[in-house]
Amino acid sequence: MRPENYEAQRQPPSNEYELNFGPNHPGIEGNYALKVKLHGDVVIEANADGGYLHRGFEKLMEQRLWIQNIALVPRICVPDPSPMELCYSMAVEQLCGLVVPKRAQWIRVLQLELSRIAAHLFTFGGHAATTGMYSTMYWGVTDRDLLLDLFEEFTGGRVYSIYNIPGGVRRELPPGFLQRVTETLDYIESRLPDYDNLFFKNQVFVRRAKGVGVMTREQALAWGVTGPNLRATGLAFDVRRDDPYQVYDQLEFEIPTEESGDAWARTLVRRHELMESIRILRQVIDALPDIHGSIRAPIPNPLAWNVPAGETYTRVESSKGELCYYVVSDGGPKPYRVHVRGPSSMHAVQVLEKLAIGSRIEDIAQTMFSLDACPPEVDR
Amino acid sequence: MSSINQIPVIEAKRGNPLSKVFDELVRFCRSRSLFILHYCTGCGAIELPPAMTSRFDMERLGIQPMVSPRQADILLITGYVSIKTLKRVILTYEQMGSPKYVIGICSCTVNGGMYWQSYATAKKLDEYMPVDLYIAGCMPRPEAVIAGLQQLMNRIQSGEANSWEDYFRNYDYYLGNQQKLFGDNWQTPTDIITEAKHYNLMGEGTFGEHTRLLEQHQKPLEALDMRLGHNLKEPTE
Ligand code: SF4
Repeated sequence: MRPENYEAQRQPPSNEYELNFGPNHPGIEGNYALKVKLHGDVVIEANADGGYLHRGFEKLMEQRLWIQNIALVPRICVPDPSPMELCYSMAVEQLCGLVVPKRAQWIRVLQLELSRIAAHLFTFGGHAATTGMYSTMYWGVTDRDLLLDLFEEFTGGRVYSIYNIPGGVRRELPPGFLQRVTETLDYIESRLPDYDNLFFKNQVFVRRAKGVGVMTREQALAWGVTGPNLRATGLAFDVRRDDPYQVYDQLEFEIPTEESGDAWARTLVRRHELMESIRILRQVIDALPDIHGSIRAPIPNPLAWNVPAGETYTRVESSKGELCYYVVSDGGPKPYRVHVRGPSSMHAVQVLEKLAIGSRIEDIAQTMFSLDACPPEVDR
Repeated sequence: MSSINQIPVIEAKRGNPLSKVFDELVRFCRSRSLFILHYCTGCGAIELPPAMTSRFDMERLGIQPMVSPRQADILLITGYVSIKTLKRVILTYEQMGSPKYVIGICSCTVNGGMYWQSYATAKKLDEYMPVDLYIAGCMPRPEAVIAGLQQLMNRIQSGEANSWEDYFRNYDYYLGNQQKLFGDNWQTPTDIITEAKHYNLMGEGTFGEHTRLLEQHQKPLEALDMRLGHNLKEPTE
């Protein structure tokens, strides 16, 4: 700043002021900003300011081949990339009328649920850090790394697996892999009591999270909230059960709900979901050895693949909420239009703006993390 | 003269052997205590928490995250920078105190990576600010990040990591690229030319046509217009 240029401006005395919260702020999730208006330390108005991560995905996808887009889609949501691949692959399969072999469907569920656990552990870590409990963050990130090791083993990539392609999956599971998944799941399950003591039952967390960012079920439905955030208001809606895809209709699992709709309830729903995911994975591990067959339906030469004209809409349940793809093909080698309806664009913009009002400045970060918004997916 | 002026802080060119030892000591200490600015620009940031926490543990090298640009030494650009982010990155970079180091993580900072076609991202980071080190990969693993940081430490210790001087010496080039992207009116709150004079880091490229353009357009800074929603209309009901 040049001091000679600076002149103090006369303002009427006030106790209202404006604050730029982010994008370079430790309390914000990713590269995202909020402009908040404060009275003392109570928020009276909040405006989301996104676009820092905009890459123009929907336009980029129109310029690449159907198969090339598989490498592009996981980048839309960084912490939980697997549902992105799957949802896009499902859309292409529907357009082409491809039938995915049974074994590939089971392997896909394995991948999805591993990804869900990893994403939830990461969210717990981030949420705990906003309440000052850094040990939970260290634990969460480190335990997530065990899952990333599994991903690396069977897909080849730690974070972006690029494993689902239209028609099936790319590789067979390595020998002895299911045994290692079981070991990791056992370990994570044995850690959960520790997490309970350190985080979920910790009074530091419970007192700070209870009553923060409350939304009722009517509000949640009106604002387009989905996923764990909706289930925290008591409505048991889950795409996996209500509109099953892949083999979810053959699996047994529950939809955990909570009633209070605040930050605490949202985090607790995720914790229960983690248990359900472990339960699903155990069923998959039991079933997979008996399911034989190919892992990929025959697809034409991917470099000269003209997908039949038509439009389709697919949806899956990602760890953040309902994720949908609207894909239009004009019969050419590239998509005509792809639209991504990500859950976070609702959670991080319209919901966060409203939930922040009335809360204290230090609770904004917590509200954002409890909504589990994913900024790259907001901006796309 | 106060005694502080007699301490050769940066590369004193005197023939004093003591100053050489002192320089080496300073560089050694500097490379052992680095603070990374906590700014996640792109998707490569997801590999930083594992690198920082218990499994890979960056702290054993003396590297820690830091929240304020004024106290940070390293600006990690973790992935693609969209144009909107690039403005903030440049403001942040200019705010950081020298000596400062820039690391570009991910292929996207090298040449645009998989967004080479995108209308919204800046492709080559080193057109806008000097970069000390690139860690390529999409995305680089935590081991690679740590190996890159170790290399930076070695370079700091041997005195090669002085790209920040380049920003002062070739300010015209960087400013020109920034003006191409953000328009001719682009102006940051930091006065780089005065700083370059102050640190005695004027080079051939400090002045040029772009800095002349800046002087033409330069307006006294107004208090930042942070008024919220000033273009929103009042609700009618
Ligand atoms: S190089 Fe890959 S991981 Fe890194 S920012 Fe670019 S797309 Fe993301």
